[in-house]
Amino acid sequence: MQLSNEIISTSHDHINDAGSHLFWSGNISDSLEESIREFGQAAPVLVRETANGLELIAGYARLTVLRRLNQPVLVRMTIDATESDMGLLYMADNAQRILDDGMRLAALNYFRPMLDEKQLEADILPRLGIKPKSKDGKLLLAWLDMPDNWQKHLTAGNVPLAAALPLGHMSMDDRQACEPLFSEFSWSRSNAVNALTWLFEASKMTDTTVADIVQRSGMAEIMKQGLSPKDTIARLCSAAKATRYPELTLLQDRFSKAARNISAGTKWQMLQPNNFETGGAELTIHVKDETQLKKAVKDLETMAGFPAWDEIWGLGGRND
Amino acid sequence: MTKPAEFPKHLRKIARVYVDESMQESPLTLRVRDRLNGTTHQDIPWTIVRPDTERVQFDEGDAQALYLKEYKGKFLRFCPGTKAYHCCGYRIIHIGENCPMSCSYCILQAYFQDRILKIWANQDSLMKELGNAFGADPNIRYRVGTGEFTDSLALEHLTGYSHDLVGFLNDYDNVVLELKSKVVDLSWMKAAKRTDRVLPAWSLNAPFINEHEEFDVSTLKERLEAARTCSEAGFRVCLHFDPVIHYPKWRQGYAEIIDMIFDYVKPENIAYMSIGSFRCMPQLTPIIAKNFPETRYIYNEFIPGLDGKARLLRPLRAEQFSFMVDRLHAHGMDKQLYFCMESTEVWQEVFGYTPKDLNGLGNHLMRQAFCE
Repeated sequence: MQLSNEIISTSHDHINDAGSHLFWSGNISDSLEESIREFGQAAPVLVRETANGLELIAGYARLTVLRRLNQPVLVRMTIDATESDMGLLYMADNAQRILDDGMRLAALNYFRPMLDEKQLEADILPRLGIKPKSKDGKLLLAWLDMPDNWQKHLTAGNVPLAAALPLGHMSMDDRQACEPLFSEFSWSRSNAVNALTWLFEASKMTDTTVADIVQRSGMAEIMKQGLSPKDTIARLCSAAKATRYPELTLLQDRFSKAARNISAGTKWQMLQPNNFETGGAELTIHVKDETQLKKAVKDLETMAGFPAWDEIWGLGGRND
Repeated sequence: MTKPAEFPKHLRKIARVYVDESMQESPLTLRVRDRLNGTTHQDIPWTIVRPDTERVQFDEGDAQALYLKEYKGKFLRFCPGTKAYHCCGYRIIHIGENCPMSCSYCILQAYFQDRILKIWANQDSLMKELGNAFGADPNIRYRVGTGEFTDSLALEHLTGYSHDLVGFLNDYDNVVLELKSKVVDLSWMKAAKRTDRVLPAWSLNAPFINEHEEFDVSTLKERLEAARTCSEAGFRVCLHFDPVIHYPKWRQGYAEIIDMIFDYVKPENIAYMSIGSFRCMPQLTPIIAKNFPETRYIYNEFIPGLDGKARLLRPLRAEQFSFMVDRLHAHGMDKQLYFCMESTEVWQEVFGYTPKDLNGLGNHLMRQAFCE
């Protein structure tokens, strides 16, 4: 492949900009339009000659703005560019852009039919700012095997890169059952990985499908409650965890109820510190002065007489 | 022409032998060569490992390699128990690493992520170290075993290691050796001069677990028949329920194997019996999921225990323990029973006493081992 030395001017109408190698075309910044209005086109776009006229290789945003302004386009020709060269040139021309996972995935999807996985890993990932063999590199490559609808959720920022691991364990039907959870909200890495893992593992634990677990845990109803995204995700996570850890959830609920009875109206915090491996509770308080300290001691004395402690002592034990 | 002798099932995947250059003429190496002769495996290739070799690499699919190695570390070790739970205080004689059998729950998958079965061929060094330790003060007693980083008897057919060890320990009245296994090889019995210083031991599990999660091992019946043979020869045996697995029909399964035990051995012939719930380093779970995709028990209510390992939620494992202990008590078992790596709370809940009441678990098992 070669780049011509001369820069020529042509009409925007003569340039076809529908090539699949323009995988990051999309949002065009206002500042680019302002810059072209003020100074004109500072750098030429790259094109190649085809039987149907000129085809854009790089410079989609400039071409779009120039078309909008109805101005001629400065172009530089490329000669003998293969499909792979076009993608590489496009990436090189966009090297200054800040990439997100969706953009990286779009690039990998473009190169996938031309390169094997080792080449993608060794040659393309570093151009996307990802080290070959890194965890993120492996996750990105795993996303290539995800269905289009899930890839769209990644691109939209609704599902994190790390979700490839639990999703990779799921069947098509399992993934389909989880998809509605990710169609509206943007999930954090830990929430998404935990919820998907719990749903998958709960299905294995009970020898049923993820769809059944989603249905049984009332997730559809939670989605309909009209809560904020943050509250909805928190409740969905709790529901998933309760199906994965039913006994533990039961113990935790009982502990919380007893702890509320004991510590209500005080500043004392009560925690079960070790997943009920031992009985009892951990009590903490933050005091800033002598008055608060005296109050805390008095509260603690009162709390010590509450019958709800019997519930706390026995939780997780044989006689529980 | 004589038909070559068949290898035991659990050794058939051995496809190569590596031997350290310095170990080529060691008695153990010569014995392995001799025992391979005339078998279906007599032509497997041998590779000499030069001293400057950083690491032996072996990757031939499902095949395994035997590596006769000059070991330069400590042979006598403490069991890697943690303070958060009660450890039995067993001492390890380190004879090698890795196991030819494959049990889905086995921690060795995480410890040794290759298919190389290492055996320490410098037995003279091992015996010198043991002799120094055990001979230093005959009043200090030792309860030792070889089944921590390998199976005690899995490679016995080729190496005769336990036979040698039993013979060597005949001279040490203060040592009881436990040989813990999932296969049957009783060739070591010929070396034993007294029956009260060797404790042949077998791991047991529910039949469903044995059939679905343990591969290339002896059947439960074969193990119990071997226990009976040892018992009839005057040895006391040890039996180990570890790991106890929580699976849908666990009550039936553990009831069946518990009842089966006493068709073969009497309670008084059992020196001790451990019970331990499945627990693992968190990194083992994905290894099990990958190596054994059909395995389901890993998807249960495991929580991080006090030692950071994943353990079944206390009420669930205490329920299993109570069921098993009640049934074992009904068969006449009593203080031979102990929990492997359990908390004081669980001891108290299930047994009604704790290791403290036994003057410490290690001391208690020492007395059991020495038949006091």
